[in-house]
Amino acid sequence: MTEQVPLQPEVEARIVELGQVDILVGIPSYNNARTVGHVVQAVTAGCAKYFPGLRAVCVNSDGGSSDGTQEVVRAADFASPATLLVAHRLLPVHKIVTPYHGIPGKGSAIRTICAIAERLNARACAVVDSDLRSITPEWMELLLGPVVLQGFDYVAPLYLRHKYDGTITNSIVYPMTRALYGKEVRQPIGGDFGFSGRLAGHYLTKPVWETNVARFGIDIWMTTTAIADGFNVAQAFLGAKIHDAKDPGADLAGMLIQVVASVFDLMQTYEKKWKEVQEPEAVPLFGFPHGVGLEPVSVHVGRMAGVFRQGCRDLPEVWERALSRSTLAAITALGEAPDEGFHFPDALWVRTIYEFAVAYHRVRLAPDQLLRSLVPLYLGRTASFVLQVEESSAAEVEASIAGLADEFVRQKDFLREHWTR
Amino acid sequence: MTSVLEEVVRRTLNGFAERLSLFMPNLLAMAVILVVGVLAAGVLRFAVRMALPRLGFDNFAGSSGLTTVLQKGGIVASPSNVVALTLAWAVVAVFVLLAIGALNLDFAVDLVARAFLYLPQLLIAFAVLLLGGLFAGFVRRSVLIAAVNAELPSARLLAAAAQGAVLVLVAAIALEHLGVGRQVILTSFTILFGGVVLAMALAFGFAGRDLARDLLERIVARPSAARMPPDDPMRHL
Repeated sequence: MTEQVPLQPEVEARIVELGQVDILVGIPSYNNARTVGHVVQAVTAGCAKYFPGLRAVCVNSDGGSSDGTQEVVRAADFASPATLLVAHRLLPVHKIVTPYHGIPGKGSAIRTICAIAERLNARACAVVDSDLRSITPEWMELLLGPVVLQGFDYVAPLYLRHKYDGTITNSIVYPMTRALYGKEVRQPIGGDFGFSGRLAGHYLTKPVWETNVARFGIDIWMTTTAIADGFNVAQAFLGAKIHDAKDPGADLAGMLIQVVASVFDLMQTYEKKWKEVQEPEAVPLFGFPHGVGLEPVSVHVGRMAGVFRQGCRDLPEVWERALSRSTLAAITALGEAPDEGFHFPDALWVRTIYEFAVAYHRVRLAPDQLLRSLVPLYLGRTASFVLQVEESSAAEVEASIAGLADEFVRQKDFLREHWTR
Repeated sequence: MTSVLEEVVRRTLNGFAERLSLFMPNLLAMAVILVVGVLAAGVLRFAVRMALPRLGFDNFAGSSGLTTVLQKGGIVASPSNVVALTLAWAVVAVFVLLAIGALNLDFAVDLVARAFLYLPQLLIAFAVLLLGGLFAGFVRRSVLIAAVNAELPSARLLAAAAQGAVLVLVAAIALEHLGVGRQVILTSFTILFGGVVLAMALAFGFAGRDLARDLLERIVARPSAARMPPDDPMRHL
């Protein structure tokens, strides 16, 4: 498939020069000169330290940075081999710096990375974000090791996050992916992952690179495709993920819409698959889970609840297109509840998401309008979650999220019945 | 005297009978055409009412907002029934015009011809109103959702105003197309629209100049900076 992915002549020449590599680590970037140097150092150090004797290449797939990102990548390398505390000889890690072609977005960058991986017959690949500040060389061992040493095809990250962080993942993406596709991947849209050369070639066969997948849906698409198409999936504990604030070019509504649209679109693609899956199963975890200090996260429950209440007042005429009468009535009743004791039950939330998924499938409303109208509901659910776990420990929070995930599984028959009714 | 009277009456009656006998076929033709038209309309209404629900037209009307447009117009029947009834009445109208034409009277022929010439304008105006109504509903929903997500307190008012503006525009287009009060409609719309735009320009540019300055400063601020400030309480999401 790489003949369809245009590569610059210099890159083609470099590929011919390298011939074949064992490991390829891709770093998509766009105006990340401040942080990409650290990422490249960690990548090159990790490949040299943990995979001695294997040929490694670091590929920077850049979206046309104007701040010197590509130059920083070319110049970066691990400072001193002595600091890596290894006794073996360290082979140099090769580098390829290339712009990507196609629709602007991480997906197009990863497509280029996968194309180069296929051309170089890479056995194992990894992709890491270019704005990571918490990446260490050990991440390479954890993302690539299961592929190189254990034969896994896809390694999803597992980060330690603040209990108020990543609520889109906790309340929608994780429990839905688990219920639909039957794999316990805790963070399906982590952003950093490992995959086999075989899976990279499989990704390139999919006709998604001119769609929203190329723009913003690449993470969930890669995870879901790996699971749904039967590849061996694992997780790796990477500790905390600290990165620069992303500017998605949109507000919160934009982020939610992008992620949920990707999840719902994938349900159309893999309809047969998710209908067959009954119970989720655990996925092997590599790495050594440990506690880390996390940056505090401030939340404004009152504001989130306020948006939810306004939605209950003003949006029933929109929500009634997606929700059943009983669900809508339960939600609008919740809109009149006071802040103290405000609680958006798991069962109601799951029913809401499933009914939205069905409405998206049946095009009961313009997709953008449907997903934007989900925002107040999501904020209400998040406000409820924050209140619920305010005094909870990390373990208790995880148990709460696990309970929600089980509820998604319990109500899956409802989704099956209404999907094609 | 009596015989003259009788002669006049007899000639008058004969003349009437003769004219009636000449006109009777046209009258009968008109009656036949009307009966056929009513029967055809009835059959068409039945057929459409049976077929459309089976083709999913009611579901489509629901999802596209057509049902809402009809309900807001006070029509509670299902969209399939409405379409069936509309088509039936259209058939009846056509047959009425044909029936009038069958009378073969000059004014009737002229009326029929002018009616058929006006029919396309009527259909286009109807289509404009229907599509405009759907579009107005779409605009309303978009504005409503965006305003709620932006935490604007008057979300419903804004949405209604947006919908109203679209409906006014659509109605003006339809009436202009029908040639009804062309100048009045155009002038009224121009004054109304221009007045609204002028009022907004004055409000924003003069009375809201501080807000305008803040907004412009934010727009031309560093484009690569994150939209969400570090202490934004929504950042964790």
